[in-house]
Amino acid sequence: MELVQMQKSLQDYTKSLFLDGVLDSQFLQLQQLQDESNPDFVSQVVTLFFQDSDRILNDLSLSLDQQVVDFKKVDPHVHQLKGSSSSIGAQRVKNACVVFRSFCEQQNVEGCHRCLQQVKKEYYLVKNRLETLFKLEQQIVASGGMIPAMELGF
Amino acid sequence: MTVEQQDCVALDQFPVGMRVLAVDDDQTCLRILESLLHRCQYHVTTTNQAQKALELLRENKNKFDLVISDVDMPDMDGFKLLELVGLEMDLPVIMLSAHSDPKYVMKGVTHGACDYLLKPVRIEELKNIWQHVVRKNRGSNNGDKKDGSGNEGVANSDQNNGRANRKRKDQYNEDEDEERDDNDDPSSQKKPRVVWTVELHKKFVAAVNQLGFEKAMPKKILDLMNVEKLTRENVASHLQKFRLYLKRISGNQQAIMANSDLHFLQMSNGLDGFHHRPIPVGTGQFHGGAAAAGMRPFPPNGILGRLNTPSGMSGVRNLSSSPSSGMFLQNPTDLGKFHHVSSLPLNHIDGGNILQGLPMPLEFDQLQTNNNKSIIAGNSMAFPSFPTQQQSSLPNNNNHLVLEGHPQAPPSAFPGHQINKRLEHWSNAVSSSSSTLPPPGQNSNSLISHQFDASSSSYSIPFCDSTIPLNPALDHTNPRAFYRATDMDSSANVQPGVYYDSLQMRKSGNYGPTTDAMLSSNNPKEGFTVGQQKLQSGFMGGEAGSLDDIVNSTMKQEQSQGDLSEGDLGYGGFSSLRTCI
Repeated sequence: MELVQMQKSLQDYTKSLFLDGVLDSQFLQLQQLQDESNPDFVSQVVTLFFQDSDRILNDLSLSLDQQVVDFKKVDPHVHQLKGSSSSIGAQRVKNACVVFRSFCEQQNVEGCHRCLQQVKKEYYLVKNRLETLFKLEQQIVASGGMIPAMELGF
Repeated sequence: MTVEQQDCVALDQFPVGMRVLAVDDDQTCLRILESLLHRCQYHVTTTNQAQKALELLRENKNKFDLVISDVDMPDMDGFKLLELVGLEMDLPVIMLSAHSDPKYVMKGVTHGACDYLLKPVRIEELKNIWQHVVRKNRGSNNGDKKDGSGNEGVANSDQNNGRANRKRKDQYNEDEDEERDDNDDPSSQKKPRVVWTVELHKKFVAAVNQLGFEKAMPKKILDLMNVEKLTRENVASHLQKFRLYLKRISGNQQAIMANSDLHFLQMSNGLDGFHHRPIPVGTGQFHGGAAAAGMRPFPPNGILGRLNTPSGMSGVRNLSSSPSSGMFLQNPTDLGKFHHVSSLPLNHIDGGNILQGLPMPLEFDQLQTNNNKSIIAGNSMAFPSFPTQQQSSLPNNNNHLVLEGHPQAPPSAFPGHQINKRLEHWSNAVSSSSSTLPPPGQNSNSLISHQFDASSSSYSIPFCDSTIPLNPALDHTNPRAFYRATDMDSSANVQPGVYYDSLQMRKSGNYGPTTDAMLSSNNPKEGFTVGQQKLQSGFMGGEAGSLDDIVNSTMKQEQSQGDLSEGDLGYGGFSSLRTCI
C-alpha cells in the first residue's frame, strides 16, 4: 500500500474512532504530548492502560462472582477504571463505568453484572481499535513515513 | 528558629522548573500527569505510593514546591496525605480525582487543599498551578493569606460566628493594616519559611500573654520575643493563625483553656490559612502570669469539656515545670488556675515542627462569661495526634483528674461544639451540647492511653467555627479552582463540538467558590478529629512527662499516623482542622 494511502487510512480510521465516540478529545491531548523527546508516549500510556484495566476487570469479575458481593471493594475498582479510561480518552469505557458505579451505589448485584459486561465490551472494543491504530502507525513509520497529525475540526 | 531558604535556581525561572511531586496509584494517570507537567516545564517527580511520597517530602523539605495527589489511593487516603503534607511541610497540595462529587471537593477544601482537579486533567489547568506556590509563600510571609483576603476571611468568619471575637479581630485587622508592609514583588517572591518551633511559639505565647490577648500586636510581640531574623510579618501571620485556631477550637463563645503549644504549632505551621490566635494562657510561664496578673481569669472550665473535677484540678500543676503548655483542665471554680493536664515536653523538637498548633487558652473573657462551658483539656485537643511511645511515662495525674472530672463536669452548654461532631467521644460530648462527658474508653484511637481517652472524651473542642474560609485564597482568589471548564475554548487542543465530552464532564464538577456558609457547615463535622486523635495519642493525660517527649515520640511515630488513626477520628478530623481556618 502506498504511504499516502496508508496515511489517509490512518486518518480516516482515527476519525471514525472519534465520531463513534470510542475516543474523545483527551486522546488528542495525549497525542499532542507525544513529541521528539517523548516519541512513544501514546503507545506507552495506552499499554499501561491496558495492563491496569485487564487487572481491574479481572478483579471485578472475581468480586462480583462472590457469594456476597462486597461493594466496598467493587466501587474503588470501577472508580479507578473510570479515572484511567477518562485520562486516555476511552470515552465509552468511561461512560460505562459511570453507569456501573451507580449500580454499585444501589448495591444492585444484577445491575452490576450487566454493567461489568458492558464495560468489558467497550473496553475490548477500544483496545482492539487502538491496537489497530498503532499497527497502522507502525506500518507508516516502517515505510519511512510520518504519522500525520490529526486534523482538528472535522 | 529555622529559616529555610528556597531553591534559588527554581526561584529565578519560576514557574519554569517548579518542582512538583505527583502521587497517584494509577500508573496510567500518573504517566499522563507526568507528561503534562513536563510539558508545562515543571520539574516532576512521581510516585505511586503515598508513603513513598511522604518519605520523599520528609527527606528534604525543600525539595518540592508543590504536591499533586490523587484522592483514592490504596495505601493512604489522599486527604490524609494532604493533611500531613500541609502540617509537616506546609506545601501547597492539589487534589486530583475522578470524583466530581461536590462533597469530595468540599473535603479537599476542608482538608486544606489548594485546588481540586478532576480527571482527566487537562494541560491548561496545570499551566496555572504555580499560582498556589506563590500564594502560599505570600500568605505565610505576609500575615494574611493574600492581601486583603485573609482579613476578609477573618472578617467573614467573625461576622458569621464570633461576636466575642469580632472586637479582637477588628483590632487585629486594624493593626495589620497599619503595620503591614506590602509585598512588592509578589509574583516571583519566595521568602524563607519561618518554622514555628515549640520554643519559638512559647516565646510568642509568653509575649502575647504579657501584652494581653486582646492587646497583642505583632510589633510588640516581636519586640518582646526578641528573636533574630523574625519579622513582624512572621509574627503577624502566626498571631492570626493562632487567634483563628483558638477561636476555632473554642467555638464562638468560648475560649479554649488548652494549653497546648504543640498542637497549635502543629496546626499552624502546616495549615493553610491557619490563623493564629493569641492564647492568653498557655504555658507554665504564662500560667503564673495569667493567674496572678489579672488577666482575665481563665475559667478553668475552659473551653471544651470539663475534665477536671474541682477537687482535683484546682491549682496549677506542673505549670511552672512543664515547658509546654499542657492542657488545661479547668475547674470551674478555680479561675485563673490551670491544671496542666499534659505536660508534654516541649524540649524536643523534631525538626521543629512537632510542637505546632498547641492551642493556647483563648479568650479569657469568653471563658469568664461562660463558666458553664466545659473546657476541654487543651492539650488533648491541641496536640496533633502523636503516637507517642512515651505515653506510659507520663504521669497520670491529669488523666486521673480528668477522669474524675467527667462525671462532675457541669452540664454546660457547649456552643459551637457541633464542630466536633466527628470526634467520637469528643463529639459525643459536644453534640450533646452538654458538658456531660461520655464515659472514657470511647476513644477510637488505640494509641491513646486509657487515661487519655477519658480526658479526651470530655474534651470537646469546638473546633472550626467555620465561617472562616478555609483558605481565603482558595475561596476568594481562585474561583478558577472550581471552574475547570473555563479554559476549554482557549485550547487549541480541544476539538470543537464533538469532543467536548470530557470537558463537559469537568464542567459538571465545577462549583462556585466554597462559601463561608459551606465551610462553616462542614467544619463542625470535620471537627478536630485528627488533631484530636493526635492529641489523644500524644497526650499522656496530665502532667506527664514533658511535652517534648511526647512530641518527640509523636513525631517519631508520624509514620504510623496512618495507622494511628483510622476512621473518623483520624485524619478526617485533622483535615477538618485545617479547613476550619
